[in-house]
Amino acid sequence: MISKTSVFLKESSVVLVKSGGVIIGILLSLTLIGLVTSIGRLAMGLGASTALTDAYPWGIWIGFDFALIAFSGAGFTMAAVVHILHMKKFQPALRPALLAGLLGYVAVLMLLLLDLGRPDRFYHFIIFWNLHSPLFEISWCVLLYTTILLIEISPDLFGRLNWAWPVNVASRLMTPVAIIGITLSTLHQSTLGTLYLNMPHRIHPLWYTPILPLLFFVSSIMAGLSMAIIAYKISIRAQGKEERCGVADGLAKGIAWVALLYVLLKLGDIVMAGELPALLALDMASLLMGLELVVGVILPMILFFIPAARKNNLAQWFASALILFGVFMNRFTATVFAQKAPPGAAYSPHILEWLSTIGLLAGVILAWYLAVRFLEIFKIRVSIKAGH
Amino acid sequence: MNAQKQNKLSRRDFLKKAGAGAAAIAAAQMFVASPASAGKAPLEDAWGMMIDLTKCTGCNSCALACKEINNLPRTDIVPHKLDSNAYTFVEECETCEVTGEDGLPQQYYVKHQCMHCVHPACVSACTVGALRKTPEGPVVYDADKCIACRYCQYACPFGVPTFDWRSLLGLIGKCDLCAERLKEGQKPACVEACPTGALRFGKRKELLAQARAQIDFNPERYYDHIYGEHEVGGTSVLYLSAVPFTEIGFPEYGPEPIPRYAETVMTATPFTALTVAALATGAHFAFKGRQQPQLAIESDEIGAEESDDQ
Ligand code: SF4
Ligand code: SF4
Ligand code: SF4
Repeated sequence: MISKTSVFLKESSVVLVKSGGVIIGILLSLTLIGLVTSIGRLAMGLGASTALTDAYPWGIWIGFDFALIAFSGAGFTMAAVVHILHMKKFQPALRPALLAGLLGYVAVLMLLLLDLGRPDRFYHFIIFWNLHSPLFEISWCVLLYTTILLIEISPDLFGRLNWAWPVNVASRLMTPVAIIGITLSTLHQSTLGTLYLNMPHRIHPLWYTPILPLLFFVSSIMAGLSMAIIAYKISIRAQGKEERCGVADGLAKGIAWVALLYVLLKLGDIVMAGELPALLALDMASLLMGLELVVGVILPMILFFIPAARKNNLAQWFASALILFGVFMNRFTATVFAQKAPPGAAYSPHILEWLSTIGLLAGVILAWYLAVRFLEIFKIRVSIKAGH
Repeated sequence: MNAQKQNKLSRRDFLKKAGAGAAAIAAAQMFVASPASAGKAPLEDAWGMMIDLTKCTGCNSCALACKEINNLPRTDIVPHKLDSNAYTFVEECETCEVTGEDGLPQQYYVKHQCMHCVHPACVSACTVGALRKTPEGPVVYDADKCIACRYCQYACPFGVPTFDWRSLLGLIGKCDLCAERLKEGQKPACVEACPTGALRFGKRKELLAQARAQIDFNPERYYDHIYGEHEVGGTSVLYLSAVPFTEIGFPEYGPEPIPRYAETVMTATPFTALTVAALATGAHFAFKGRQQPQLAIESDEIGAEESDDQ
């Protein structure tokens, strides 16, 4: 066992140098910086380590956090595609997406912990309940859904360890587990929108509408599927394999339809609320919303509707990234830029906020890449299957 | 603008719009006959405070008394904003033009503190239920529960809760209408400290009746509106003013409680969950026999996952 491990370590260090060593090095350094700054933040307290004030109680941590929850929708959307809609051709994209979702939620939990003024009481939501509170529901769903993702990814981990029976048990549970995961995801992805319904006085009217839960849910699907495309493409390359045709472009087609639904809902709502003038006002808010909608939704939607474009490798990377950009803009703007604050109040993030956020994100990207590249967790299950 | 939009969107509009979405969430929302926040009695018999701005001389006795009773630092310094060291403060209105009884221009002051909403958004939003509206009137805060997520700061329509940014493990602070003193049959400390009678303590019902009578009796002295009677579904703290409330920067709110939409959706959570779970289960069986056109069985991954659906 030990010799096996040392051989594995030796081999992986060789591969590490050969493949993407520089990128891994950068990610590793950022992760270390993130760790140090996170510990610094916990030791310093919120006031000293952030630029947050009573006018801007939430900053980039929450902005990134809420965007990351949408990105991590990769897990539940792909579980729905493969286990519920039974579109088996997307199977190869499932496990990279589940792992991305799991690590995404790990980062979400860490960012939330950093943001809490009382991180020592992070578990209080388990003891003290408020069923009306969107954040209460989100906390519970994130906790439960992270567990679900662990179960969903467990066959790969057990497979790596060559434990046959846990793989079989977990595999049999996959459908009910997927249904629970989809339910939990629908709840908290939409509840992130509900969260803003409690602040109509603070948030710009262009971002405030009673259908926010619906908009957040739909946009989490398009972000999740885009994340799934990217995770699939990277994992294929990391394993030195070829993409199978029909996977990325099939998902891309789905994204185009979801994006269309999103645009129709959003514009329809703005028109019905009589806010079209605000959308066209060419002020800060209208430009931010325009950027989000045109660059982050409509452009990639058009690309993904064109068959030639969605089969093109570059266009797949580009348009998926644009969708992620659009959803990021949406969550981030709703949290920071679209918030009305008293005159004179401003928020310009503290360097510790930036470094800890970037470091944590680098950390989970690194963990994902290492898992895909060197643990080869997506490959191993074959041997179990063969000996079964 | 926000407040306007807020008024404009009636509940029917909401359902109409949500219905247009025709998604499971929206459908589930319709199961709920009425939001938990609607139709809640305005707590007429609970305690409240009437602030008669026409009688305030800006002496700041209330603000200092408040610091003292709440053990906040620097009882010698007059506060100029709400923060973790001041749960109330008195603001001078520079732009208000008010003439006193002697016909001369008079300075005009506005006391700020928690409004003790009848249906408080802070209470509805709080992740761990650390904030609570007591039947006696005060909206109280349990510092032992709070995780300092600061959501209440966003939910409060009056920007009342403040966070202690200086401490390593900070907490929220806000006026609690001196709930402890009320239990002992005392008045809030600020009311007791006020030398001019600008602050009055009593049952909300009685305070409203008195204020109405004051306006009727002295229409030149008072602007004809009791702030807090209907705003955001009513508040236990009420204001009388000589000038329109927009002039002293009070936000215009309709009678709907702030948390009404969120509570509608949150109340629908079990329905949403059941609907989604049922739809997913149904879809699973409906698509189970789906033809898999170009299924490349030679792939190792697909082979490995075939056992999933037994
Ligand atoms: S004024 Fe704000 S803090 Fe006070 S009860 Fe109302 S919502 Fe809560
Ligand atoms: S900061 Fe404390 S009181 Fe405010 S919502 Fe969060 S847990 Fe509740
Ligand atoms: S009621 Fe009590 S806590 Fe509130 S402002 Fe007056 S003295 Fe302060």
